[in-house]
Formats: sequence, structure tokens, C-alpha cells
Amino acid sequence: MSQIETFYDVMRRQGITRRSFMKYCNLTAAALGLGPSFVPKIAHAMETKPRTPVIWIHGLECTCCSESFIRSAHPLAKDVVLSMISLDYDDTLMAAAGHQAEAALMDTIEKYKGNYILAVEGNPPLNEDGMYCIIGGKPFVEQLKMAAENAKAIISWGACASYGCVQAAAPNPTRATPVHKVILDKPIIKVPGCPPIAEVMTGVITYMLTFDRLPELDRQGRPAMFYSQRIHDKCYRRPHFDAGQFVEHWDDENARKGYCLYKMGCKGPTTYNACSTIRWNDGTSFPIQSGHGCIGCSEDGFWDQGGFYNRLTTINQFGVEANADRVGMVAAGVVGGAVVAHAAVSALKRAQKKTQDKVEG
Amino acid sequence: MSGPRLIVGPFNRVEGDLEVSLDVADGHVRAAFVNSPMYRGFERMLDGKAPSDALTLTPRICGICSISQSAAAARALAAAQGLSPTPQGARMAALIHAVENAADHLTHFHLFFMPDFTRPAYAARRWHTRTMDRFAAMAGSAQRTAVEARAELMHILGLMAGKWPHTLAIQPGGVTRTPTMRDKLRIQTTLRAFRRYLETTLYGGALEDFCALPDTPGLMRWTGGDVGLLLEIAADLDLAAMGRGAGRYLSFGAYPLDEGYGFARGLWDQGPKRLDTALIREDLSHAWMLGEAAHPAQGATFPDQDMRETAYSWCKAPRLAGVPMETGALARQVVDGHPLALDLARQGGVLARVAARLLELARTQILMEHLADTITPEAQFMSHGKPALNGEGEGLVEAARGALGHWIRIEGGRIANYQIIAPTTWNFSPRDAAGVPGPLEAALVGAVVEPDEDTPLAVQHIVRSFDPCMVCTVH
Repeated sequence: MSQIETFYDVMRRQGITRRSFMKYCNLTAAALGLGPSFVPKIAHAMETKPRTPVIWIHGLECTCCSESFIRSAHPLAKDVVLSMISLDYDDTLMAAAGHQAEAALMDTIEKYKGNYILAVEGNPPLNEDGMYCIIGGKPFVEQLKMAAENAKAIISWGACASYGCVQAAAPNPTRATPVHKVILDKPIIKVPGCPPIAEVMTGVITYMLTFDRLPELDRQGRPAMFYSQRIHDKCYRRPHFDAGQFVEHWDDENARKGYCLYKMGCKGPTTYNACSTIRWNDGTSFPIQSGHGCIGCSEDGFWDQGGFYNRLTTINQFGVEANADRVGMVAAGVVGGAVVAHAAVSALKRAQKKTQDKVEG
Repeated sequence: MSGPRLIVGPFNRVEGDLEVSLDVADGHVRAAFVNSPMYRGFERMLDGKAPSDALTLTPRICGICSISQSAAAARALAAAQGLSPTPQGARMAALIHAVENAADHLTHFHLFFMPDFTRPAYAARRWHTRTMDRFAAMAGSAQRTAVEARAELMHILGLMAGKWPHTLAIQPGGVTRTPTMRDKLRIQTTLRAFRRYLETTLYGGALEDFCALPDTPGLMRWTGGDVGLLLEIAADLDLAAMGRGAGRYLSFGAYPLDEGYGFARGLWDQGPKRLDTALIREDLSHAWMLGEAAHPAQGATFPDQDMRETAYSWCKAPRLAGVPMETGALARQVVDGHPLALDLARQGGVLARVAARLLELARTQILMEHLADTITPEAQFMSHGKPALNGEGEGLVEAARGALGHWIRIEGGRIANYQIIAPTTWNFSPRDAAGVPGPLEAALVGAVVEPDEDTPLAVQHIVRSFDPCMVCTVH
């Protein structure tokens, strides 16, 4: 029986030098917030462990996650990860076509039974027995279930796989359903965002490939290293929020001065994601920096909150906020409705605080 | 005598899901039926929502052409409230849009179209080894540099639009970010780097020289860069004669500026014709949709849950004055009257579509440089208007893949109807009530099917030459 190659073998075969490999290990350690002492550990793991196969499938979606992924800031990290994935199955990028491609999928599942990571982009529509998304003559939901059966773990890429995203917007014509409501018996990591930030995607997948385990997750199943802070917490316009300086109209004097976009409907205060730290398009910018509020695309139900330009009415300036984990814990019971759990719970906390303030004042 | 029916699909390396059924006789395709097997129902989700939500929801139809969708939504909303973007706002929106379209053309060439020539069936060709080196799926050296160049070009989107895909910056009155002089310089620097990449790697020559090519023979003598490799392959396989279209082209006009369109608006049917969008009808006879053929402003999108036998796709069949139209880079360049495109269109096959895309990429780079040079940071980038309580609007743009239209009706400050016709809806439409096939279906007729082929190579080349975007097609 042929041995599965190690990561290092794969990289060498892709023409990646030893020097670049060490640089990659350094980058990985840094991206994951690990100290320099972890670099040799990562290097050792990659030299000795068989690589983890990845199968990447697409359901009801728009491919924005793949698009984001292939523009990751560190070409090296992306090359390495892509070279690992490329050996297996991805239907947007792979060379084979048609039935050949379907056969490749079956082969990969068979060959790496119980060992591979299933990356899902998009979600299955369940209405009409899944007929709104047909892959190779069969509903996508069947492909998903089949591929999930022998997977070690599942990554739900983006808001679609994690929560349903816009195709689940009322009235949810096709009953688009997030992955975790269809696959109940596998560990699932949610990497929400529409799309998720490229560096978050490579970070998550690198962590799993390198350490062969899931990253630490918050109560909603998101990797804590990227989703434990709100956009608002690290927003460069935060001082203007605190100072009560707001943009009132697009391109007004305040907009040119870079004031806070809260009154323009910014959802930064209730959105847990890394946009304000990692930023987008190789760290160039993020929506708030381009003068448009955050729409909260990494939160459950962001698509049905009654107008993207309505201002949040539940935030208090100078409020004491809970962290994602504590909020998630309380919210665990209410997940399922189109409620942004964080917003609802934060509002509750603020209401409590108000009462306290009153009592104290 | 009718031969076997071949079902080709799912297609990889196209955006979204696609299935093509072929009737084969005597080694050739006799009839083709195109199915878009994915439906999400965006038009129904938009009903009853705040009109401005269209700016956020419609881009999410597609992660590849999201700016085109947002630009069309912005224009439809602007029309409904009688608002025009400021000249500089329109200029910046055009630049943002052009970056996405240029990036799309680059992706199509490197990741979607060229890898087909690395297949083992071509192993004996003299260009095969070189093509493997440059374009083997996900490993080719050309692909790596293209993906990097594209990511760097998209810094402009990061800078001016916050993020890509699913950019939020384009609004009915202009764009949300006012550039500073520093931004302008960064954009110009980024564009210079992109030009250097195009000229040294992709074209292997000056863009102006490529744009000055007068006709197809002139084009075929171009030997520089990866374009030269494509042309060598094209000559060997006669890609020019493969997948010929009907020669009817539609363009809604790309990049409207105060000095006119970047690429003209109009029709081409054996000569330039005037475009009247009131003549558009969406035919539902072979689509799993309920209702009568209608203009999109009056149209509806109700899926036929029984998936009736007489239909075979979720895609509607748009027709202009009753006939199917081909749309895309070739159509735009033909309607714009570029001599090379007009000459290519005489054959209108796989080579014409791919070469026109390359021509447009070169011309778009020159246009983007002009747009960047004429940004004036002190100007107003957004005009203001009251959101419409009632009104109707048509938003027409040119996505990389062709003519994209949004039609909105607002009643009582809410969306009462929203209909979208995407470029691939035109190109990959099913048959209409008269039984006339859509442009791809027609182009596939006559394609060679070798005896042992279950996914014929010719069919793959023809399908990909349209650069389909299936998630936009049915939405």
C-alpha cells in the first residue's frame, strides 16, 4: 500500500525551497499567535506527519469564499495549502471534468476514509427534495451527506455554510439550510463571513493541517482566535464613536474626516470578526475604512435585520460588553431563529446595566 | 438517424453548476440543451424589503461579479429616485467596476480556459509541454503569477471599496469613499505594476500595439507571451471555426461617464443597430418557471415546483425583439466598433470570444489608467437624494461576461418587484416558445464528438469560451 506523503514531501515536490518552508512555518506560528518556540514544532510536524487530505465541495453559493481564499496575503501559505488541496478534489479549480471529476471525488473519499477534512462552501437547499441544487444529477444534499460520512471534521466556509446567508433570506424560497442542521454527527468548524477574510481561511486550515486538531472554538463553533472580538473593539474610527462624532450623510464633511459610521447603519458594534485587525485585500482596508458601515456579514441572520442602513438601536455608548464566549453561552438556547444572538443578548445586558445605573444613580 | 444522448456535466472550472445534454449523430453534436441546475430565488427574497437592501443582497448572487451586481442595483435605485451620481462618483464607480472586469478576464484565461489544453488527449501536440508548464491546473507557472497579479490589482478595490468580493462602496449617488491624493497615487502605482505584468508576461509586448492590431491575420502573427501560446494552439486546433455564434451582439454600454461610455451601448446584427430595452422579453416556455413571457419590469420569478416535462432549465430565455442575443467581451468590442473585434466576429467562434476578451483586457487597462489620472480628490463623490417612496428604475451595466440588467419597482418605500437578467442568462438560455435555441445551444451544434469521448473536448472549449457564470444566470 502506498504511503501518504508528508506535508514536506508535498511542498518539495511543488518546488518550494527549504528556506521558504521555514519561512512558512514562521508565518504560520505568527498567524496563529504562537511564539517562536513553536516554529521547530511546526516544522517537525510537517516533515514527519502524513498530510491531511482536504475535499472542498460547493452547494448553493456564489464562490466568494474560494475567491477570497485564492487571494490570501501570503502567496506562500496559499500555495502550500492549495498544493495540499489540489491533490484531492475541488470542483472550481481542478483539471478533470464531468464524470471524471465525480469519480475523482469518490476515489478520494474511498482512499482517505475517516482521514480527510471536508470543506463545504455554500449550503444545501432542502425544498422539493433538494432539486434546487443538482450536482452530477443528484441533489447537493446527497453529495454533502455522502462526503461527510467519512470525514474527520467539517469546515463550514462562510455565512452560507455556517448560517444560510442571503439565499436563506425571507421567505427562503429554496429552504437553504446551514451545514450543521443537516450533518449532526461530525465536528463542524464555522468560519462565517461573506466571504470570510482570506487570512482567516488559510489560518484555520493551516492550523488543522499542521496540528491535526480543531482550533479552539467559541460557543457558536467559530475559531476563537479570529472571532473573539467585535469589529467595534479594534475599529480605527472608535475614538470618534466615543467622542460622539458621526457621519450624517455620505460624503459629508464628517465622512471626509473619517468619523464614526454608526448613524449610517454600521453593525460593527455587534459583529464578531477580525476585519478591523487583519483587514481585506492583503490588509489594504476594510469596509469601514472605505466609508461604508459594517453589515455584520459574519453574524447569524445578518441578511434579515430590516434594512442594512438602519442604525442599531440597541447599543449604548460607553457600555460594558460581554465577550463572544459569555454571550454565546447564554445564546446557545436561542440559536435557530433569525436572531442575531449577540445583538439580542448584548441588548439584554445593556438593559440590565441601565437598570443598575438607575439604581446607583 | 438519431444517435445517443450525452449528458456533459457537472462542469468544473466554470462559476457555478452547469449541465449540457447533447444529441450526437455521426460524430457531431446535432442538438444541445443547456441546464442551469441551481436556483436560489433572490428576486423573491427582495420582495417587500427596503430598496437599499438590494445594494447588499444582489451582489451576493455572485462572488465573482459582485461589483457588477452592485453597480446595476445602484443604477436601478438611482433611476427610481431620479438621481445621478456626481461625475467624479461615476468615474470612481467605473474604475472600481473596471478592476473587477479586468480581474475576471485574467481569471478566465488562466484558471478556466487554458487548462483544457493540458489534457492528455493533446499530449502529442508540439505545444503541449509548454502549455503544461504554464497552465496545468493549480500548478502552472502562468497561473501563479496571474493569481498574484490579480490580487495586487485588487488592492485598488481594497483601497476604494473596502473589501472584495461583496463590495459596498457603490451607491446610487456615487461612491462612499472620497479618495485622497495619496489614494490616487497608490492607484496609479498599482496600475503601473499591473501594466508591467501584462506587457512582460501575458502579452509579451506593448498593450497599445496589441490594441492596434487591425484584423485576425494580424492577430495570428502576434507571438509574444502567453497570448502567443494561445494563438499557436488556436491555429493548430482551428479554434476560430469552433463554436460559431449567430453574429447578433448586445451591449448595454460599459462605464458611463460624463464624456460618454467607456465601451459603447448598442446592438450588432450585420451592422450597428439601435438598442431599445423595452423590446426585451423573458420567455418561460422551456424554463421551470410559471407565468407568461414578459418584459422584466413586469416579469415574475415563480419556480415550477413540479419541474414540468416540457422544460429543462431554471434559466429563463431572454429575447430582444424576439431573437436571442450573444453578450460578453466580444459583443462589447464589436458594438464599440473595434476593427479587430469586427473582423473576429466574422467567424464568431471560440477564438473570437477569447481573443476579444484579451483585446478588452488590454483596452481596459488603458481606460483604467485614464480614469485614475482624471480623479480629482477635492470634488464631490456622492450626490444626495431622497429614497423613492414609489418609482420604477432600470439599471444596466456591462459585467465581464456581458449585459446585466436590474429592474426595480418601489411601492410605499418597499420593493414591489425586482427582476434581474444576467449575461449568462442571455448566452445560456434554453429554447423559446418558437423552439429557437439559446446562443450556447446554437454554438454547440456541429461540435466534434470523438467516439470515445464522454465529455467532448470541443464542447468544453465552446462552453468555456463564453466564460459562463452560472450563479448569476439563475439567481
